[in-house]
Amino acid sequence: EEDEEDQYYAKDLPDHACKYCGIHDPGCVVQCNVCKRWFCNGRGNTSGSHVINHLVRAKHKEVTLHKDGPLGETVLECYSCGCRNVFVLGFIPAKADSVVVLLCRQPCAAQSSLKDMNWDPEQWKPLINDRTFLTWLVKVPQEQEQLRARQITAQQINKLEELWKENVDATFQDLEKPGVDEEPQQVLLRYEDGYQYQNIFGPLVKMEADYDKKLKESQTQDNIEVRWDIGLNKKIIAYFTIAKSDTDMRLMHGDELRLRYLGELHKPWSGVGHVIKIPDNYSEEVGIEMKTNLGVPSECTSNFVVDFVWKSTSFDRMQAALRKFAVDETCVSAYIYHKLLGHEVEDVILRCQLPKHFSAPNLPELNRSQVYAVKHSLQRPLSLIQGPPGTGKTVTSATIVYHLMRQSNGPVLVCAPSNIAVDQLTEKIHRTGLKVIRLCAKSREAINSPVSFLALHNQIRNMEGHSELHKLQQLKDETGELSSSDEKRYRMLKKACEKELLEAADVICCTCVGAGDPRLARFKFHSILIDESMQATEPECMVPVVLGAKQLVLVGDHCQLGPVVMCKKAARAGFSQSLFERLVVLGIRPLRLEVQYRMHPQLSKFPSNFFYEGSLQNGVYADERKMEGVDFPWPQPDKPMFFYACQGQEEIAGSGTSYLNRTEASLVEKLTTRFLKSGLKPEQIGVITPYEGQRAYLVQYMQYNGSLHAKLYQEIEVASVDAFQGREKDLIIMSCVRSNEHQGIGFLNDPRRLNVALTRARYGIIIVGNPKVLSKQPLWNHLLTFYKENKVLVEGPLNNLKESMIQFSKPRKLVN
Amino acid sequence: VTDIPRVVPCPEDDDFMTAFDRILSESMLQRNQESVKPQTDIVIPMNIKGGNKKVQTIPTAFLEPKIEEQKNTINFVLMTRKGNKQQFKSLEVPLMSDLAQNLKDREKAERAE
Ligand SMILES: [Zn+2]
Ligand SMILES: [Zn+2]
Ligand SMILES: [Zn+2]
Repeated sequence: EEDEEDQYYAKDLPDHACKYCGIHDPGCVVQCNVCKRWFCNGRGNTSGSHVINHLVRAKHKEVTLHKDGPLGETVLECYSCGCRNVFVLGFIPAKADSVVVLLCRQPCAAQSSLKDMNWDPEQWKPLINDRTFLTWLVKVPQEQEQLRARQITAQQINKLEELWKENVDATFQDLEKPGVDEEPQQVLLRYEDGYQYQNIFGPLVKMEADYDKKLKESQTQDNIEVRWDIGLNKKIIAYFTIAKSDTDMRLMHGDELRLRYLGELHKPWSGVGHVIKIPDNYSEEVGIEMKTNLGVPSECTSNFVVDFVWKSTSFDRMQAALRKFAVDETCVSAYIYHKLLGHEVEDVILRCQLPKHFSAPNLPELNRSQVYAVKHSLQRPLSLIQGPPGTGKTVTSATIVYHLMRQSNGPVLVCAPSNIAVDQLTEKIHRTGLKVIRLCAKSREAINSPVSFLALHNQIRNMEGHSELHKLQQLKDETGELSSSDEKRYRMLKKACEKELLEAADVICCTCVGAGDPRLARFKFHSILIDESMQATEPECMVPVVLGAKQLVLVGDHCQLGPVVMCKKAARAGFSQSLFERLVVLGIRPLRLEVQYRMHPQLSKFPSNFFYEGSLQNGVYADERKMEGVDFPWPQPDKPMFFYACQGQEEIAGSGTSYLNRTEASLVEKLTTRFLKSGLKPEQIGVITPYEGQRAYLVQYMQYNGSLHAKLYQEIEVASVDAFQGREKDLIIMSCVRSNEHQGIGFLNDPRRLNVALTRARYGIIIVGNPKVLSKQPLWNHLLTFYKENKVLVEGPLNNLKESMIQFSKPRKLVN
Repeated sequence: VTDIPRVVPCPEDDDFMTAFDRILSESMLQRNQESVKPQTDIVIPMNIKGGNKKVQTIPTAFLEPKIEEQKNTINFVLMTRKGNKQQFKSLEVPLMSDLAQNLKDREKAERAE
């Protein structure tokens, strides 16, 4: 029998053979109009026929019947309007005759359209039934025939379709070639050239993109209730609640969601909007601003579906940057090119006039290590600056940008992976008096930030002159839409203004991915600074770099959180290592800022010793970090910290995908209430918890069970560690919920995340957790031992905290 | 190997089914949002209609809703259009299909009248 199968393929198959299984009876196959491939109408061992499998997976929608089939060469299309989308086509018979026509379901076959008495719209039957073309239109190959044909599985079909996206000529045989199913190539320390660099990172970016796409597209949620509102800009906003979990991707401002209405009260509708609100301590609602107000069924409130819209933009920009780095030798200087690839290059010192005063106008005076970092970055084409928590990284960066601008003629490009970090830096640079523009993604223009007034789209509104543009803008703001000719004119005028503003700027600030914005495409930036660069993947970092880098400053701290990589396969291949980290491994010594101004000296002790070889000095005295007038029973009055031992049970949260711990939640509430009563303001307190389930539970629990006014608890920020990176609070309370031995997000295992968690607090920190469970992990064992030695590992009621006598094993030697 | 081909469930197949449902509903929605002006009258030429069957372009056999007992099919005419020119193609529809069943029911009803 195997021979028989072999023989089947030994013959050269005709062009019209099914690209999956090889069947080639002209009555059984159809051609895809888009890619011109032929497929049969047999299912093999999948849930739909081969042709439907192809159309769905490739998102192709039109077909033609074979010329030698019973109907001859026939393009399937609506008799009336010519629509060729087979997913909306169907047959409709004449009332009195055995005549049929193909009509699209909407609008041609709709009751109202068919005034002709000859036709019976109720008899409309779709062309595709049970995921197969109607078998009397395209025959199903005989069972015998199907068994003799190639037995292709759904997995193989999937892979073949993926291959076709890269190589249109790929065949089934290519599936067996090595490489298709293998692990991706590991990232290297050094690369021969830009091509090798692209060849390794390109596939990783694609892998992450595919994963992200799959994840987003699988997140559709139905039965959504919607609350409608209208924003200040007159755009319609939809508010609703969706289930969230830890492992799914995070919903972020600016993400796109699609709402669909499935109810009966309105004709089917779908519309896309940008996320302008995510679940927070005020409400669990998600808010999206609709792109257009037209046709929004705002009288309906239930029966909606939410889809996550995947965007390839950021991945496309990374791929473009990799390509440019490989082929365009003018995209970075030769020095930068070789340095980034890890080649040996002779040191270069730039000839430049060093400023007399290193501190920039309106920014704090710099300390010694900060001055050194500024001086070094002005003199070298490539510098790494390591800024441990609270060491004035942003001020140092802003100062460097100030001097770079004054030394060079062109504008300086300033980037960071996250919008928050970009905003913080933008604000500081603006203070020095430089002309700064914050370039936002179009999808984020509606989101408010402290530097909104510096955003390009807002600066345009405040530009002098340009009365025609302003008039059109006003009209657009008032009515929501412009006529198409007005819209065209509006866009043209706006583009010209954007160009004018960007060209006049001293500094342009945007996210790394934002640097790939077409509006910057024709700019060259010789001086580029990237803040929080350890949080970007390499290709992400390359997006700004390839815009002309001759002098590059990477600021970051490889001891804090790295980039978020969702695809485990890509992460395993080294995709989650940042450029900053690799350059450090290559032996480029980062300039470390050494004085921290944030934490009470007692709080900085453990992080300094454990993460920074004890090099972190304190720029603040204990006295300056005493909470005046706050009466709190610290177990050791001179040490505003403790580990609150708690044996509470963890449980699966309501969503089924996360965890919560009621005992810890109640302790967190008690602590919070105590602090509030003793005079601390809600905005001074931050509650950190790794689990989405616990976050949502804590928010609810505190508001309903706290003895004080619910509004007070509402103003307390409860969030993940990641959400706190780059920021600080006076008091941090952390709820560990559980040990994380099996779960995916690796929160408690990652030393860098623990470092971030421990270094957010200025005045005090309290960790609530189960020491017995946590001490099994070497990292936590170190921390617990430190707390124990300091007599701040405690248990019991808040008014009577006692040292915990819990025993745990001595920590194993840990290689950091 | 001689077994009949049957569905082998797997994640890839599940994904396909989900994607199928999505493409279907998306396509429908898209149609609702497009402004399409349908042709309101779709004329069946007299020569195709019931009585007058002697037309050269179409073999007589196509036009007779003749039931071929052995093949268990019934002949229909699929009317298509190339520009403004109508075309007619013979279509064998299984007796058990909705299309054929409806036609038979209708004929039965007419006879009963
Ligand atoms: Zn195709
Ligand atoms: Zn096939
Ligand atoms: Zn139509």
